[in-house]
Amino acid sequence: MSTPIGQVAKPIDSEPAPGDVAAAVRRSRLPSWVVILWANRKSRIGLIMLGLFIFVAVFAPLLATHDPKVTDFAQSLPPGGAHPLGTTASGQDILSQLVYGARTSIVVGLVAGTVVTFIALLVGLTAGYLQGWVDEVLSFLINLALVVPVLPLMITIAAYSPVRGLFLIIFVISITGWAWGARVKRAQILTLRSRDYITAARFAGEGRLRIIFAEIMPNMMSLVVAGFLGAAAGAIGAEAGLEFLGLGDPTTVSWGTMLYWANNSGAMLTGQWIWLGAPGLAIALLLSSLTLINFGVDALSNPHLRER
Amino acid sequence: MTERASLEPGAVSPEGAGSPLLSVENLSVSYAATRAVRDVSFQLHDGEFVGLLGESGSGKTTLGNALLRLLPPPGRISEGRVMWWGSARTGEAREGPEPHRAGRDLTTIGQEDLRRLRWREMSTVFQSSMNSLNPVLTIETQFRDVIEEHTAMRGAPARQRIGQLLEMVMLDPSYMRFYPHELSGGMKQRVALALALALRPRFVLLDEPTTGLDVIVQRSILDNVRALQREQGFAVLLISHDLGTVMEVSDRVMVMYAGKIVEDQRASTMIAEPMHPYTRGLLGAYADPRAREVEIAYIPGRPPDLSRPGQRGCLFAPRCQEAIDVCRAEEPVLSAMGQGEAACHVAEAAYAAGDGRRDQSARAGEVFTAPAGRTDRGPRVERRQEVLAVAGVHKRYRSRRGLKVTEVDAVQDVSFVLRAGTVTALVGQSGSGKTTLARMVTGVERPDTGSVTFGELRVDRLRGRGLKAYRRHVQLVFQDPFAALNPAHTIGYTLSRPLINHQDVTGAALRPAIEELLERVGLSPASTYIEKYPHQLSGGQQQRVVVARALAPDPEIIVADEPISMLDVSIRAEILELLDTLVRERGIAMLYITHDLLSARVLADEVLVLHNGKLVESGATLEVIRGARDAYTRQLLDAIPNPFATRRG
Repeated sequence: MSTPIGQVAKPIDSEPAPGDVAAAVRRSRLPSWVVILWANRKSRIGLIMLGLFIFVAVFAPLLATHDPKVTDFAQSLPPGGAHPLGTTASGQDILSQLVYGARTSIVVGLVAGTVVTFIALLVGLTAGYLQGWVDEVLSFLINLALVVPVLPLMITIAAYSPVRGLFLIIFVISITGWAWGARVKRAQILTLRSRDYITAARFAGEGRLRIIFAEIMPNMMSLVVAGFLGAAAGAIGAEAGLEFLGLGDPTTVSWGTMLYWANNSGAMLTGQWIWLGAPGLAIALLLSSLTLINFGVDALSNPHLRER
Repeated sequence: MTERASLEPGAVSPEGAGSPLLSVENLSVSYAATRAVRDVSFQLHDGEFVGLLGESGSGKTTLGNALLRLLPPPGRISEGRVMWWGSARTGEAREGPEPHRAGRDLTTIGQEDLRRLRWREMSTVFQSSMNSLNPVLTIETQFRDVIEEHTAMRGAPARQRIGQLLEMVMLDPSYMRFYPHELSGGMKQRVALALALALRPRFVLLDEPTTGLDVIVQRSILDNVRALQREQGFAVLLISHDLGTVMEVSDRVMVMYAGKIVEDQRASTMIAEPMHPYTRGLLGAYADPRAREVEIAYIPGRPPDLSRPGQRGCLFAPRCQEAIDVCRAEEPVLSAMGQGEAACHVAEAAYAAGDGRRDQSARAGEVFTAPAGRTDRGPRVERRQEVLAVAGVHKRYRSRRGLKVTEVDAVQDVSFVLRAGTVTALVGQSGSGKTTLARMVTGVERPDTGSVTFGELRVDRLRGRGLKAYRRHVQLVFQDPFAALNPAHTIGYTLSRPLINHQDVTGAALRPAIEELLERVGLSPASTYIEKYPHQLSGGQQQRVVVARALAPDPEIIVADEPISMLDVSIRAEILELLDTLVRERGIAMLYITHDLLSARVLADEVLVLHNGKLVESGATLEVIRGARDAYTRQLLDAIPNPFATRRG
């Protein structure tokens, strides 16, 4: 049967050539998702960039030349010598702060991304698969969460909370960020649950949980991964934003607090643009790496796409 | 436009009478590494009705799209020309003597020239016209778009013209206020046809215009196209995978295989004397279901992968029963022989030696026979054990649209039994209640009144756990095998699930059990299939996997919903043969749902004809088909494309 214009072709009835990536997946001992993502050039660049950030975060004590909190150095030194990026207005080494700051961003991205994805999956899949009144209730919750203005809510929760610190920020980001993901996953499962192969799985005696997680989920893996990457990127940005506004713990070292102190000390006025620019650039690069990885995730849930 | 004289038989050869309307010269189209169309040349004359036939992946749609320059990227014309010899008309000067015909190469002219040419001179009806009509515009608006873009007609005259166009395709002009979703599939296809003819084009490309429609609707649309073509004299290129339909309506048929045209001859002579072994194989898939003995054939193997470089010789040779040494070494070229042209060494040699007749019967390939009586296949139908009984079931659906509540009686007072080792065919067009009945048999749907009993079990009262347990006894074979297999899982995983859930096969016993299933459906060696994903298999192989999965729980009943309608003609008989063997050997009761009476004739022992939810005829297959009493059954029989029957006018 031929394919009309503009539609994705079904595989044609011909002797398929062994797919390069598919074959590579089988040969490799690495987890298959790494091989699949690695096959895409853009997502390979993203993986390398992300790998560098994680490397820096993990080995921060070895890479940093100084303790990021020590204020022993001369204030507002220009870049050069012992301080390649100079020092802050209170005499801390900027490079060391930048190196340690990677830890905060990576942890926030990973934890908040996971929590957001988890909530979105749970709510979205349940609503979409069960339908009926369960769907009505959960959809109402999703819609409610969608219309609440997120930034003011985040600021309010963070400002009035009795405790300060990283985990408050992760918590705030998680409970405000899941709704979009849930909505998208619900829509996707609605189209997937009526496929013939789901009916077939039911006739093969599969239970409800297995149908959701073993039959439907693999087909929306790219959506789940893209959702995770998006949530992680959003969380990293939100964390930096909240700290920049002074709603984090100002004594921790992170790219957000660096921006906060740089701004408060009038870094631009004193010509210390590196103090402001370095953490900003680091955030931008980390987010870019996640976006680049996203280019390769389509192939995750569609084995057919791996053969290009 | 006056009617053009029909062409003489001799005019078929490219050098024949008159200048062509469209000539394709050494056209090649490639998608990245895949050469989808390879060095194709042919000509199309004014007023000619030409069929282009091929299996999926043969390049027929690609060729059609290339003619109109509609190739989706990364497809591109890598070589050759498409010359348009229709004069470059300007303004409204349509009448009068034609000026000199200046050829224009469609592969190189600019987008703006192309835009003017499209629809006015050459138009098309796509495969899924359901999707080619804009859902948010009324039918009238869509016609106006076309008419007002290309002509000076506005207002009332335009409206009148739209009415005429709709009448031309046998639709009432009042339909023009409707939106596409308010029309049935067949009506939408008629609208698409009228739209294609709105500006009286000289050439219309029909790409599988009736695929997915009912046999009866399909028949009436094609008859309509043929009549209009006779009347208005436009040229048609009809692309289809269905040889029966193509043969019946076309003047000339071109057969495409692996990106090349392998045979080109008049339809009337092709039936009597197919030259290429592939054409012979395709013709073998058709027969008259009313004949005393019906045998249908299939071509073993599958088409080659055109992305693999360095393939030598005739690409059909691996599947060819008649192949000789030269076929494997040298690719034949399309050359004149017999009554037309063919690209085949064997046929060429035969024609060189004499009148071209070859010893082998036209039904080369594997043959699957349905003899007159089925007595040779075990005990008589009546003595077989009754497995499931459907008694006096009714089903009424209510739907609300605006303030109106409409009630549809989907099934009315239907009773039948399924017996072990017997195939019961449920025949009828869409909307006849076939699917509702099948859903009742599987327990998914409950009848409003009446009963469905499986042994002692009341299927219509099952729920929850009971229903889940019942599924062990009844399994499904789907229409579209590609949609029925989870693309994310390997074949091995897919087959392991019913074994684990229904048969409690686990651990080390699993793999041998899966291999046994695969071998049983003819996929051998099984070990090569276990690790594969569905998209790596051909349509026929996918359907075999679907059948294997249905066999896994060792069911008493299999419900097969149009299991061959999405498959290529050349492999349909193969799947029918598989189903037949399994049913007879394993004593399975099969409910075979179809609108195709030929396949029912070959496979089924009993036939139930369903029309508007009522059983209009039932009985032993041969009796029902050869002695059809009901008018609707006869209509269904007449609608079957049959190239061997006398051609209609």
